[in-house]
Amino acid sequence: MEWDWAFVREIMPTLLDGLKITVLATVLGSVLAAVVGLAFALLRRSPNRLVSRTTAFLVEFIRGTPLLVQLYFLFYVLPGAGILLSPLTAGVIGLGVHYATYMAEVFRAGIDNTPRGQWEAAKACNLTAVQTWQHIILPQAIPPMIPALANYFVAMFKETPLLSAITVVELMSQARSIANFNYRYLEPMTLVGVLFLAISLIAVPALHLLERRFRRYR
Amino acid sequence: MTEPIIDPIINVDHVTKSYGSFTVLKDLCFSVMPGEKLALIGPSGSGKTTILRTLMTLERIDSGFVRVDGDYLFHMERNGRVVPADEAHLHRMRAKIGMVFQLFNLFPHKTVLENVTLAPMLTKGVRAAEAQRRAMELLEMVGMAGKANSMPAALSGGQKQRVAIARALALQPRIMLFDEVTSALDPELVEEVLNVMRMLGTQTDMTMLLVTHEMSFAHDFADRVLFFDRGRIVEEGPPGEIFTNPRHERTQTFLKKIIAAGQRI
Repeated sequence: MEWDWAFVREIMPTLLDGLKITVLATVLGSVLAAVVGLAFALLRRSPNRLVSRTTAFLVEFIRGTPLLVQLYFLFYVLPGAGILLSPLTAGVIGLGVHYATYMAEVFRAGIDNTPRGQWEAAKACNLTAVQTWQHIILPQAIPPMIPALANYFVAMFKETPLLSAITVVELMSQARSIANFNYRYLEPMTLVGVLFLAISLIAVPALHLLERRFRRYR
Repeated sequence: MTEPIIDPIINVDHVTKSYGSFTVLKDLCFSVMPGEKLALIGPSGSGKTTILRTLMTLERIDSGFVRVDGDYLFHMERNGRVVPADEAHLHRMRAKIGMVFQLFNLFPHKTVLENVTLAPMLTKGVRAAEAQRRAMELLEMVGMAGKANSMPAALSGGQKQRVAIARALALQPRIMLFDEVTSALDPELVEEVLNVMRMLGTQTDMTMLLVTHEMSFAHDFADRVLFFDRGRIVEEGPPGEIFTNPRHERTQTFLKKIIAAGQRI
């Protein structure tokens, strides 16, 4: 078993194509997870019992079932009900909604950490509920959450190889097809690992920088 | 000639409120005339802060009625019947009332100026330039114009509280509620806040209710003092009477303790 640099040069463009899809799925999945996660967190606080309980159940249900099973449902089962999704769309929805259930927990903790006095001051200033969320609570609650959210972004990134199971042509699936075709696993799999590591190493400090920028008032 | 009848601006009518088994307001009744300066004193847990928070709608009541400026606070009239107030009614009523808190509760992510301009811009649709002009006038008045662009974290307690007063005034309320606004301050910073309140007392006709442990300030400032104990008003009257010649035994005990703790009245 010897490392073959010529083979590396040959397969690199294909792997980088796969990496683009991996990054795209992660970015879209993260945005969806953040938005849906915030929605879950807010709906769970609804004074309407039916809304808050239903949301709580849904969140538990999604969190308690494997992402791979959810992806299979989205891509292979839903078409039976007439809902046809492209592989990438199904993958992004699967990743996004699955991680939204974890992010909802981060949002909940961040919102609960906002001192009660801030809600009271907002009321004394006669702000509406929507204005209070928009101008007082979320701008204070979100910056401290960024490290925890960033962990989930990175975790999601590392789970994107699951998308190969629903025919998304991302990094892992490209590497596997190269390996199967050439009967060489060493270079493709090593490169997959190296590329994932490289992106993770760049992403973590970048997200911390983001956190510092948002926290100008501390 | 009979004198013109002036209606009270606040009327608390048989109000009761409990937290679980603890009754914090017991069948409470009192009214406040427009422009009156009222000091609420009494031991902790006596309900004085709760009634202030109730007037700001931060607390709900279990029974009774509160009227502010002629309207029910927690109720509204619909088709001739009195029904619980909806959010729109509460929103309208809150516009008449401002509140300053013991722990300031400034918005830490906004500058001093933004703290004062935010509510007028959002709730009254005041344009940014106009809101800033008025905010600077108010900050000037409380002696904080020089810190307009600072963040609250950079201010001392006394400075924070003066900004909080300006923030409450920005909505031009008819009634101002002051909830132990000097209790969290270092002793040397108390006076700068009291000075602002003295100025408001003499220069405006706002109705002011303050919960305070500063007895000498209450003595000089208030038109009338209410002494609370265990959810009731035990005694009320002009400060000269309450402080120098309290009739009720509980008021006497309370004031003795205050004097023993070293306060001048």
